Amino acid sequence: MKELHPYTWEVTREQIASYADASGDRNPIHLDEAAARAAGLPGIIAHGMLGMAQLANFVVGWAGDHRRLRLLRCRFSAMMLPGDLITFSGRVTGEREGLLQLELEAQNQKGERVLTKGLAEVAAS
Amino acid sequence: MSKVSGKKYPPVETTLDPVHVRAFALAVGADPDAGVPPTYAAVYALFSTAVQLYGDPEAAVDFRHLLHSEQEFSWTRHPEAGETVVASGRVEEDVERRNLRFLTYVTDVDTRDGPLCRSRMVNVIRG
Repeated sequence: MKELHPYTWEVTREQIASYADASGDRNPIHLDEAAARAAGLPGIIAHGMLGMAQLANFVVGWAGDHRRLRLLRCRFSAMMLPGDLITFSGRVTGEREGLLQLELEAQNQKGERVLTKGLAEVAAS
Repeated sequence: MSKVSGKKYPPVETTLDPVHVRAFALAVGADPDAGVPPTYAAVYALFSTAVQLYGDPEAAVDFRHLLHSEQEFSWTRHPEAGETVVASGRVEEDVERRNLRFLTYVTDVDTRDGPLCRSRMVNVIRG
């Protein structure tokens, strides 16, 4: 099994706000501390899809061209908060019908798994 | 409970605005010169059709108690900036287990040249 070189990403309020604007997902739990607390959260949290975008960056950085990516999947298992350091790891587990199979996951600085059951399929070059 | 299992929503057409695609790439930390980032599918597949589900009184999605639990995108090919795509959403499954509602929403994205992408989203809603 070939391990990908791990990649660490810091969650920041600025990037969460940029993502809210760029994606159109302006749910207040991502932007407004008071609204996030009212929803029972410790404070604002990153969009799961912002985390998945980093997962895509991680795989594309390895594959070289995003056009080779044919499938990307993950489960959002824990919240990602501003200040968190999220480390992405992955490995190639095999090849099926011309597609390399990658297992992926992400953990925060406390070792909690934030993205699980990650899977990518990348066209073999 | 299977309130809206199988329900389909009308297709939504989106043209991928190059300026917006570039802003998205910069926001997620992808290379803005490399084309449309894969998870821009959140915009051209997911966001445009999920609002139909969330705004549907029959589906009665309690947005305040909703978690995006799982997401999958699969691509026949990736779009280029400037392309026009058509996204069609449907509820694949709407079931309740242990006081949680599991709502699986599938969006198929097509172009004039054929299929492009499929999004599969699982939402969990606390009862």
